[in-house]
Amino acid sequence: MTVGRGEGVGGAPTGRLTPGPACRVDFSRPLAFRFLGRPMTGFAGDTVASALYANGVRIFGRSLKYHRPRGLYSLDGESSNALMEIDGVPNECAETTALRVGMSIRAQNVRGDPRTDRFAFLDAFDRLMPAGFYYRLFHRPYRLWPLFQKGLRRMAGTGVLDPVARPGPDVRAERYLNADVAVVGGGQAGMAAALAAAESGLRVCLFERRGWLGGHLAWRVREYEGEPQYERAEGLARRLSAGETAAPATHPAPAMHPARATHPAPAIVKVFTNSPVTGVWGENLVTGFTVGGEGDPFRECHLECRAKAVVVAAGCMERPLVFNHNDRPGVMQAGTAWRLARTYGVKPGNAVVFSVADDLSLEAAVDLADLGVPVQAVADAREAGHQDPALGAALEERGIPFLPGWAASRALGRKRVTGCELRTLRGAGSRRLRCDLLVANAGWQPGIGALATAGARLAYCTHTHTFQPVQLPRGVFAAGSLTGLRDPRSIEASGRLAGCRAAEWCLGEAARGGRWNRGGAESRGAATVAARATEAAERNAESLPGPEPGCDILHGPGIRRGAKAFVDLDEDGTWKNVVESAAQGFDVPELAKRFGGFGLGPGQYRVTGQNLAMIMADLRGDPLENASPTTVRPPLVAPSLATLAGPGHDVHKRTPLHGELASRGAVFRRAGPWLRARHFGGDPRHGASEATAHRLREEILNVRRNVGLLDSSPLGKFRIFGPDALNALQRVYISDISRARPGRCLYSALCNDMAHVLDDGAIVMDNGREYYFTTSSARAGSTMEWFRYHTRHDGWDFHLVNVTDVFGSINLAGPNARRVLERVTDDDISNEAFPYMGCRWITVGDVEVRCLRLGFVGELSYELHVPSSYCQFVWDLLVAAGADFGIQPFGLEAQYCLRAEKGHIIVGAESEARVTLTDIGMGWLWDREDTVSKKVGAPALRACEGQPGRLKLVGLRVRQGAGSSRAEPGASGAGPGSPRDGALVLDRGEIVGHVCTTRYSDTLGWQYGMALVREEVAVKGGRVVLQEEDAPGTKVICMATIVSPPFYDPGGERLRA
Amino acid sequence: MTFRLTCPVCGKRDICEFTFGGQERGPRPEQEGLSAEEHFRWVQFRMIPGGAEPAQGAGQRGWRQAALQQEWWYHGQGCGVWFRTTRDPATNREVEGDGGEG
Repeated sequence: MTVGRGEGVGGAPTGRLTPGPACRVDFSRPLAFRFLGRPMTGFAGDTVASALYANGVRIFGRSLKYHRPRGLYSLDGESSNALMEIDGVPNECAETTALRVGMSIRAQNVRGDPRTDRFAFLDAFDRLMPAGFYYRLFHRPYRLWPLFQKGLRRMAGTGVLDPVARPGPDVRAERYLNADVAVVGGGQAGMAAALAAAESGLRVCLFERRGWLGGHLAWRVREYEGEPQYERAEGLARRLSAGETAAPATHPAPAMHPARATHPAPAIVKVFTNSPVTGVWGENLVTGFTVGGEGDPFRECHLECRAKAVVVAAGCMERPLVFNHNDRPGVMQAGTAWRLARTYGVKPGNAVVFSVADDLSLEAAVDLADLGVPVQAVADAREAGHQDPALGAALEERGIPFLPGWAASRALGRKRVTGCELRTLRGAGSRRLRCDLLVANAGWQPGIGALATAGARLAYCTHTHTFQPVQLPRGVFAAGSLTGLRDPRSIEASGRLAGCRAAEWCLGEAARGGRWNRGGAESRGAATVAARATEAAERNAESLPGPEPGCDILHGPGIRRGAKAFVDLDEDGTWKNVVESAAQGFDVPELAKRFGGFGLGPGQYRVTGQNLAMIMADLRGDPLENASPTTVRPPLVAPSLATLAGPGHDVHKRTPLHGELASRGAVFRRAGPWLRARHFGGDPRHGASEATAHRLREEILNVRRNVGLLDSSPLGKFRIFGPDALNALQRVYISDISRARPGRCLYSALCNDMAHVLDDGAIVMDNGREYYFTTSSARAGSTMEWFRYHTRHDGWDFHLVNVTDVFGSINLAGPNARRVLERVTDDDISNEAFPYMGCRWITVGDVEVRCLRLGFVGELSYELHVPSSYCQFVWDLLVAAGADFGIQPFGLEAQYCLRAEKGHIIVGAESEARVTLTDIGMGWLWDREDTVSKKVGAPALRACEGQPGRLKLVGLRVRQGAGSSRAEPGASGAGPGSPRDGALVLDRGEIVGHVCTTRYSDTLGWQYGMALVREEVAVKGGRVVLQEEDAPGTKVICMATIVSPPFYDPGGERLRA
Repeated sequence: MTFRLTCPVCGKRDICEFTFGGQERGPRPEQEGLSAEEHFRWVQFRMIPGGAEPAQGAGQRGWRQAALQQEWWYHGQGCGVWFRTTRDPATNREVEGDGGEG
């Protein structure tokens, strides 16, 4: 074994190894940071974990349940051992977070220093915490559960979120990608697959969770075909970035791809590093996220890539060896020790013992010895003869005792490893060794997460002793060490084969044609070329070594019932707990997972999955091939919730008069997609303040006594025209729309098939084939969908145009409205020429305006539908004309009160999913004679007629509360001590309904309300009790009399004046 | 869960652009002489694709028991068309060539 070039360049600082060629740390750039307030130094390229380890930190945190000390176990976030609080953000993974200057790092689930945690005594009480104890012990008596829960939460758990902390600028981004082929994993197989697919001229996206490509080649210096493996990885990575697709001469794969001739353009491979994949979904949607580094404008960026084909080459991770105290700080994966030395230049230990079960870990032992790390012994759970003979020889050459058929049975030491006990798997051989690092694994397990979320069927393979995909979803291909391959040549060939198959799949899809594919001869030609390339790649892959046998060791030798041998580090799940689960009947992995919490922690499937399945099969006495994995849940790697929430843009619409209203002190509120003026003046921070209430009262009285202006632009406005326009209106509206005449507004409502009211509005006939109608602002967005849905079978010829944004709307309301309007138009708007419910085109300062004389607020009022760009102009004219009268704008809250006084309903406030059109007193709208146009809701209205026990809308006159004259904007009600919106309605102690809206009215001088109550109570003059909870536990009781709305101007004289 | 649908106007688009309009259950029944029972059956009852027949009498309306489902979708974030497509709800796959009925 030779060490690659470049070793020895530059000096290493104290405590660090001389940087080798695969080292990713720049020792010329020191970075200062703090751990628990203690100053420490790392270097650019370090992760938080490698920097802490280099500074001598061995205990990274405490475990969830027993508060056992935990150290560095993995480097890719496979367990929660290294979850830390970084700069105030909890649960950051130290293993994958790059070190930045000035970081402040704290351990989690710890009282005080992790070395001397105050809850460490809990470890002695593990007998009291068997599997599922949480569910069994603390639920009796049930009322004490909240107390237990609080205590448990304090002692167990991971990070604590500070709801106030805002740690620095936190920019989130999202990217949506389209690719022909998406490759998951940027190791040797992934890179080969990306290159092969790109050679067919396809667009490829490659996602790699680490900051560099190369997978397990990236730090290996062992030579393979004349070059160190890390150089092989770098070569492949260079070809990817250069868009170079021709195979170099040295490559054993078939010569230049024939498709290159027809696709001379350089291949496009978009490589995303630092980008873990979170799942593969239906129709090959790959989701993931990119962790921002230096120079990135974001902290994390959500990725979604829709691909035609997916190659999963996610590689393998180490299967933990289950033995006594296998969680002690100082027990780690072979890859962790190896990469600490090779990638980060950190000496992992001063006396190392290996207990492993695969050749790669043996290579690690040899390489660590070469780097000057003393290796005391190497135990291999496989019997002699199953190893690569070259590696055995290399160990012997270096004088390292090699013990095939041995495995670790126990780690010694209380807070960290001081030694270990090795035993033979068969027989009684046993020896104790002193060490400060115990590298342990039970061989390899594939990273099946991406395949599992894609929907692949996995089965246990008794040759590789891993779960292998036996059936892949359409367009998903697996490659690399994931499939059990170990020889680098085989891995690369399998990647190439998967890439060719993916390309063939994509081109085949295109060639199959169909209306929406780029079909045709060209893609058929390319598909044929790709098929030939696949054949060549298949032949090449078959000529190379196939999957190598794996190791089936279940646990270390001599495991006893009392052993603290951890199957799951995150949730403190031990081998003993698995046995307990099985004994209680939770004897399949999916059940044990729920009962004992195995694999529910942050590491999810990764540490626990395969061991749990194997141990369970063993306990049940099933053959291993029947072992079933638990379901792998996305996200495979957890992005922060902020990333999933997205950048949080507040997208809203402003009315054409927004600026004008703002300059008049409007307080805006989001209403649907719109920002609407709620009221004017007052203190926006205190919605219910005296000043605001006073201002609101003024707005209301000014409309009642004088004249006011409302910006009602969000009102939905539609044109419908064509020969079948009337048919469509008749279908959707509940009234007889054929009664519409030019110059008249027809009021109607819209129901669904259950006869619930969805909307109301005015319909105006322009001519026999053309109508104009309004909807509520909330309904504007779904009107198109509704009309087209309910006419979808009819093949009618009509056009529906949404002109909501084309026209603004100004509501001029109050007894002086006509006098103001007269000053700005020459048209005859007298009561005779333009009566109530009329509709006219009038000219206001040269602007043609559609004017509807409606009365939602209960006064003489004109609704002017003005082209949006003229809204400000018309508004200014009206304000100028009304100045003598004291014209004032009013907001949404005033309108809400005004219309309620008049007894006009708002859908959603006075109607709900239990009441029909008839129940809310609007049955008169229904054209019951019409059975031809098949009105939506008409059959249900007929069926509900006379049905007993329905709710009815009634008016209320509230007896008490008149003393309070505070109408509160926003707050739903009339003030403290009186009922508010939502108060209960009681009759003889029984709840019979609820209050929809109630306000104190200055106009009336008493508090009115509208309520939905049971039919038998809805008798005019009846007395009911209103019950309100002012604060929890304090009930306010009021009397109310049932009256019939409208409360204000019941005859409607003011509307017609 | 995610899949794509073929809009007859816009082609294959992501599912998030569409609104589901329910199973195809034929045109709105004639209202002359329509009983409440029949009406609510039409409004509320659905067939389980590939599953058992809905309770009594559902077969009268001519529903076939099938693993495929004919259904309506609205391309709200696109062209605004309602269209019918045949899909297998078990795999979320559209039946090839069936997208595009207006």
